[in-house]
Order: sequence, then C-alpha cells, then structure tokens
Amino acid sequence: MTPVEAGMLGQVALLAAAVASALLVPSARWRSRVSGILCALLAAAGVITGAIALTGGRGALTIPTALPMDPLVLSPDRLGGLVMVVVSVVGVLASLFGIGSARVASASRTAWASMAVFLFGMQLVPAATDVVSFLLFWEIMTLGSTALLLAHHATRGTVASALVWYSAMSQLSFFFVLAGFAVLAGATGGTGFAALATLDPASWQASLAFVLLLLGFGGKAELVPLHVWVPRVLPEAPGHVAAAMSGAMVNIGVYGALLVCVRLLPNGPAWWGVLIMALGAVSALYGILQASVASNLKVLLAYSTTENMGLVFLGLGASVLLRGDHATGAADAALLAALLLMVSHAAFKATLFLGAGAVARSTREMNLDRLGGLGSRMPWTAGAFGAAALGAAALPVTSGFVAEWMLLQALVHGSRVGGEVVSVTSSVAMPLAVAVIALTAGLALLTFVKAYGIAFLARPRSAQATAAREVPLIMRIPLIIGALLVIGLGLLPGPLTEALASAVGPAFTPDVRTIGLAGVDARGIDVVLDPTTFVALAALVLVPVLAAILISARRHPTRVSPLPWAGGGSRLRPRMQYTATSYAEPLVRVFDDVLRPTRDVEVTHVGESRYLVERVHVEQSVSDVIETRFYRPVLGLAQRFGVLARRAQNGSIHRYLSYSFVALLVVLIVVSL
Amino acid sequence: MFATVFPQLIGLCTGALLLTSALMVWRHSLLASIRLLSVQGFALAALVAVIGLEEGEAEVIIVSVLVLLVKGMALPWVLAHETRATTRTDEAPRLNPTAGLLTVALLTILSYVVASRLLSGDTSISAHAAPIGLAMVLIGFLLLITRRQAGSQLIGFLVLDNGIATVAFLTSGGVPLFLELGISLDVLLVVVILYVFAGRMRNKFGNTDIDQLRKLHD
Repeated sequence: MTPVEAGMLGQVALLAAAVASALLVPSARWRSRVSGILCALLAAAGVITGAIALTGGRGALTIPTALPMDPLVLSPDRLGGLVMVVVSVVGVLASLFGIGSARVASASRTAWASMAVFLFGMQLVPAATDVVSFLLFWEIMTLGSTALLLAHHATRGTVASALVWYSAMSQLSFFFVLAGFAVLAGATGGTGFAALATLDPASWQASLAFVLLLLGFGGKAELVPLHVWVPRVLPEAPGHVAAAMSGAMVNIGVYGALLVCVRLLPNGPAWWGVLIMALGAVSALYGILQASVASNLKVLLAYSTTENMGLVFLGLGASVLLRGDHATGAADAALLAALLLMVSHAAFKATLFLGAGAVARSTREMNLDRLGGLGSRMPWTAGAFGAAALGAAALPVTSGFVAEWMLLQALVHGSRVGGEVVSVTSSVAMPLAVAVIALTAGLALLTFVKAYGIAFLARPRSAQATAAREVPLIMRIPLIIGALLVIGLGLLPGPLTEALASAVGPAFTPDVRTIGLAGVDARGIDVVLDPTTFVALAALVLVPVLAAILISARRHPTRVSPLPWAGGGSRLRPRMQYTATSYAEPLVRVFDDVLRPTRDVEVTHVGESRYLVERVHVEQSVSDVIETRFYRPVLGLAQRFGVLARRAQNGSIHRYLSYSFVALLVVLIVVSL
Repeated sequence: MFATVFPQLIGLCTGALLLTSALMVWRHSLLASIRLLSVQGFALAALVAVIGLEEGEAEVIIVSVLVLLVKGMALPWVLAHETRATTRTDEAPRLNPTAGLLTVALLTILSYVVASRLLSGDTSISAHAAPIGLAMVLIGFLLLITRRQAGSQLIGFLVLDNGIATVAFLTSGGVPLFLELGISLDVLLVVVILYVFAGRMRNKFGNTDIDQLRKLHD
C-alpha cells in the first residue's frame, strides 16, 4: 500500500469516526470538541495525502461497482494533490474554529456530521480519475454543505429561502457538469479522464462540452451570472462554514475548470480563452462593485469571492488564449498566476470569514454601520483580519500581491513575443484585461479599507460593539495560522510557485526557479520578484529612520493643550464618524447605472416647526441587478406554469385515480383497435 | 358427467361475480356492499374450486379454500367491523345509480371487445369467461373514483383485486399456492392498514370522506 492509498483510506476511516462521534456523543460541548478534532484530523489527512501526491506520490483506490463502464478509480495526480492540499488546509482551520462555536445550532449532530461529509467530499473530488467518481464526490460535497446549512434553519427564518437558492443553483451546476461530461463520454466512448482526453479539441462536441462544463464549474466557483446564491447563503452560514464554502469549495469549481483546460482538452481554440476571460472579467468587476457598496460584512466577503474567482478565470482564459498564439512563456505564467490566485484566495478568504465569524460571535452583528472599535477589544482577531484584508486588497508582502503581480506580468508580456504582435485577438484582449484588473484592484483596496477600517477602527457604533470581547484561544489559533499563511506565502513565493509549476505538467511546463531569499524568477517572461530581499532592504533603510524619529520624539515631548475652539470636535461622538454606507456613497453615485440603488430618506420634523428637524432616517439598499433582471423573470414564468399545473394536480385522490382510470381505458381501447 | 356441467358452472360463477360487481355500483349502503363483497368472495372461491376439480389438482382446491377464508370471510368481516363504528353507513356517490349501471354496461362491452382481440387464439371455456375478470377490474376502478367514503374505497379496491384474481385463474388455470398465499396476505395487510387509517381519519375529521384529504402538510 502506497502512502497515498493509506492517506485516502485514512480519510474514509476518519470520516466514519467523525460522523459516529457527531451522532453518538450526547453533550453538545463534548460533541463539538470530539467531532471538531476528528474533522480537523480528517482534513489533516487530506493535507498529507495531497502533499504526497503533489510531490509525485502515486496510489489508486478502486471503488467496486457492477456498472458497465470504466472502473471507478481514485488516484490523485499532482494537480489533484495541490487542490486537495488547499481545500484541506482550509478544512483544518474551519474545523478548529468550529470547535469554539458554542451556538447550539453549530454544535448540533446534523451540523457536525454533515461538516465531516462535506470536508470528505471536497477532499476526494480532486482524487477522481473518472467521470462517475468525480460526480459522486461532487454530489457528496454538495449534499454535505446543504445539510450543514440546514442545521441552522431553526435559528433563523431566512435560512430556508437561502437554502432553496443554494440547492437550485447547485443542481443547475451539477446538471451542466453532467451534461458536459455526457457529451465528452458520448464522443469518446469512455468515462475515464484518460479516455475523455483523446477527443480532438477542435471538434464540435469538444466545444459544446467545454461551454457546458465552464458553466457548471463556473457556478460552483461563484461566477456571474451563476453567483446569485452566494450573497444569500454565505451570510446565513456561521463563520467556519462560510470559510469552508468560500475558501475551499470554490476551489473545486476552479479545479474543474483546470481539469478541462489542462488535462482533458488542452490546446483548445482561441475563442475558448476569450470566453473564459470575458466571464472572469465580468465576474471580477461585478463582484468587487457589489462588495464595495455592501454594508453587511459577510455579504461583502461573499461578493469579494466572486471577484477573486473572476480573476482566477481571467488568468486561466489568458493562458488558453496565449497558448493558442504560441506565446508559451506568457501562457504558462498566466496559468501559474491563476493557481497562485486560487491558493492565496483560499488563505485570505478563509481567514477573513473566520474573522467575520469571530466578530459575529462577539457582537451578534454583521452590519458594518453598527460595528467599530473592535481593534482594541479583539486585538488578535483584528490583526489576523487586517493581514488577510491586506491580502485581499493585493498589497505587497501578501500572497495576493504575488498572484496579481504574476497575472499582470503575464498579461503585459503576453501580446508580444520577441517584439512581434502574436495575434489581433490577444493584442486587444490583454490591454483590456489589464484595465479590468487595475480597476478591480483599486476597488478592492477601497472595499477592504472599508471592511477593516469601519469594523475595527474608530469608535464603536453600537452597544454590542462596545461590549465585544476577544474570542477563546481555540478560535484564535486558526485565525493566526491563516494570517501567517497569507503573509508567509507572500514573503516566500519561490517554493510555492515551483510546486504549482510542477502540478500543471506535463501539458504545461512553466520554467520558474526560486531566486534570492525564496523569491520567484519566471524565466518564460523574464521577470523576477523577491519580496523577502525587498523587505530586508526596506528594513535596512527604514529602521534607522524610524529609530531617529522615535529618539527625537522622546527628546521633545509634545504638549497636549485643549483646543480653544473645536467646532464641536472636542465632543466627538460615534455617530459623527464615517459609516460603511457613507464611505461607499461616492462609489454608489459613480456606478449608479450598474448598481441601481434604492434610497429611502425619511425626515421627521419637530412638532412646532417645519424648519426644525427632529431626526433623519436614511436607508439605502443595492439589489443584485442580475437577480432582478434575469432570474426573477425566469422564476415568474416558472411560477405561472406552476399555477397552471396546479389545476391538474389539485391534491384530490379522486382526480389522480381518474387519471389512472382514463389512462387504462385509453390503453385498452388502443389495444383493441 | 362433470365435463358437461363444467361450462355451466363456470358461467354461473362468473355471472355471479359480474352481477355482484354491478350491484355494488348500484347500492349505496356500505353494509349491503360488504355483503355483496362477501358473496363475490364465495363466488370466486367456487370458481377456483370448479377449475381445480376440472383440472384434478389438489393444490388448486387448497387455494380455493384459502380464497374462501380470506375474501369471503375475513375481509368482509374486517370491513363490516369498521363500518359499524362509523356514523354514516350510506354513500353519496358522484354518479347516480342509472348512470353507474350504464357505465358498467359500457365497461363490460369494452372488456369483451378487448379480450376478443387479446385472447383470440384461445378457445377454451375459461378463456371465454376471462372478460368478466377484466370487467371487474374496470368496475372496481369505477368504484374507486366515484365513491367518497374511505370504506367504499376499500370495497372498490377489493373488487379490483378480485377481478385480477379472476383473470389469473381463468387464463392460466390458477396460480401457484405460494404466490396466492403471498398475494392474499398482501391484500389483507393493505386492508388492515387502510382500516387503521380510516379510523384515524374518523377521529380527526369526524367522517371518512376522502375529499377532505387535499392538502399536504410537512
């Protein structure tokens, strides 16, 4: 038995143990501890298995069936190993964080059992080597996450409606994936990935399957227009569940797209690349616009996921397009950028959602307009959230920066090889993509300045925020690990990038080396990034300067004198501060046509005079344009059909018996004719 | 001797089966319908016994005794017990008696037409009588869709089942003992379940009108 096989069998055993402990341990407290540790071990087994597979370990488990098709084999390759590691690391963090969630719904039997099933399904999707086992674990993952959300429906009424959206969109994704694989299997006559990969990418079946699979995997990766479940579901989920869904599950969608573009149908036509890029660009822009105006912290993070996944797909699409143009170096760099984005997004988004979970636990409040001042009350959470927010805003020394830097380099170097324009399509698409990324990065910066600044800085805007306290140690540990991952991957990109480069072979062979202090040297496009050296140099310059400033400040202590006239500033109240809504107000005005906000201003006058205002109530809400313009009409149509169908299906037993009777009579009459 | 009487006996039994079925459509009283069902059970048992005597198989005779016990006695007894507990023992069907009897006539004609096509190659006496079984199935179905009370539904279901049994006995010369035993037990079980269900309905709504059962609850 190879280590990979042992690792996968270990995951099966740990799943059984975790489900058993979730169902059998009677006390909620102990159930959380035992099941949480077992879930963390399950995810840790995934990390180890994936890491062995990523470094070249092999092993195969065959699921015995009596079905007439290719055997169901679980055998992760390097790419599968990579995704398994990423997903499982988030799983470990989420499980540890979940131990501390004292809320009854989060500690229920259903919640812990389905958490284990969810993690297990996610970890084994990348191990599948054929369509049937892929879809099997895909569905296990979806069912696990649905049941996990369902565990919370008793506490909040809105969960039910969010779940309906989630289930419907999950099934829609599943349908697209199933249909896409069915087309491929029909064209090649096999269900194993090796058999599917024999199809010629230029054939019409390949294109049809590609579009279907892109829609299916895009739905799981929360891309526009299949993202509508995200802003509904993630705010309803507790922090660790949202972290597992938004930090880990979306990567399975990315893995699916990588499977298509790297494994099954490499060298696809140029329009595939353009399509993926367009989908990614629209998602990135739309996601970050919605995030920048959202005032619910979890909604903000949810939309930010759409943005990041959009960037991942933008990189993937650029890689497909550039490969078609024989700009191999840039294509490889773009693919690496997509993988880097995926890894860094998993790290910072999991940390951000865990941070939001910690805030929700301490304040029971997710509306940024009512938070504030948490930095001094929850220093650990604030620090971790801040580091992750830096990553989400793609600022230097974080993993997000490395990823976006690589993507921009690939795009900038992509449209020319050796000074020659490679094709008209890419010389139009690449600058446009650079512009999209620039706008996205700017808006992301604004968004996360808002998320961190409004929630953790300034003065508390409500009593709950004032009374907030730091979360227990078991919840702080995953937060800190997550933050360290964000910074660590940003400081040491060299080894990470080499591992990613080894994962996409043999179809792609990116030439990257570790250089300097764990910096990265992408030789395909001749660019070098060495953050650690940069930081060390900056420290050499800055440390003496800072020391000098501090010393001089010590010598001349500043005098604090009360202001003679402060214009009201001496009695600063929390309500005088910027809120999330007012911070985003300029953006809402600029992008009025896209966001279509609804504003409601209500002025109450003092009884005696119309010139004196007692209070002003302002409410602003931004609806999802795609939902109101696209989904609502479709749903309305379905509703009308449903009303018609209800006339035939009115619930009367006599009616149904009559249908059977008439059918029987018709059959008899037809037979006797 | 028996060979000459055999066609008449088969005709007598199947005639009784059809007549009882038609009368059940005509009568409104539940207790009367149950008595008719009991008569039908006896007729079915007699039919099986006649077929068994003609074929000279002891196993078929045992089956006929089983049919007599289950369909002629046990099931009507259970139904009568249930019906006496209800306050309403008469039925207000959706079809008036005249229209009901006309429909029965039409269904019988239809089953003869169908059977003449399906069994055109078979010229045996029992195959000639097979349309009766088909007619009983259709009449049972008619009872199911026109009656409101849960008890009447049960009667319709049992007529339907008797029809299936009649067709089986007439066309294939009887079913194996084990199969018949299984089917009888199934029917008995269904009746007991529906009996309990009707009792629950009566407790909940005060009657057993299944028109009340229209909404699903979770």
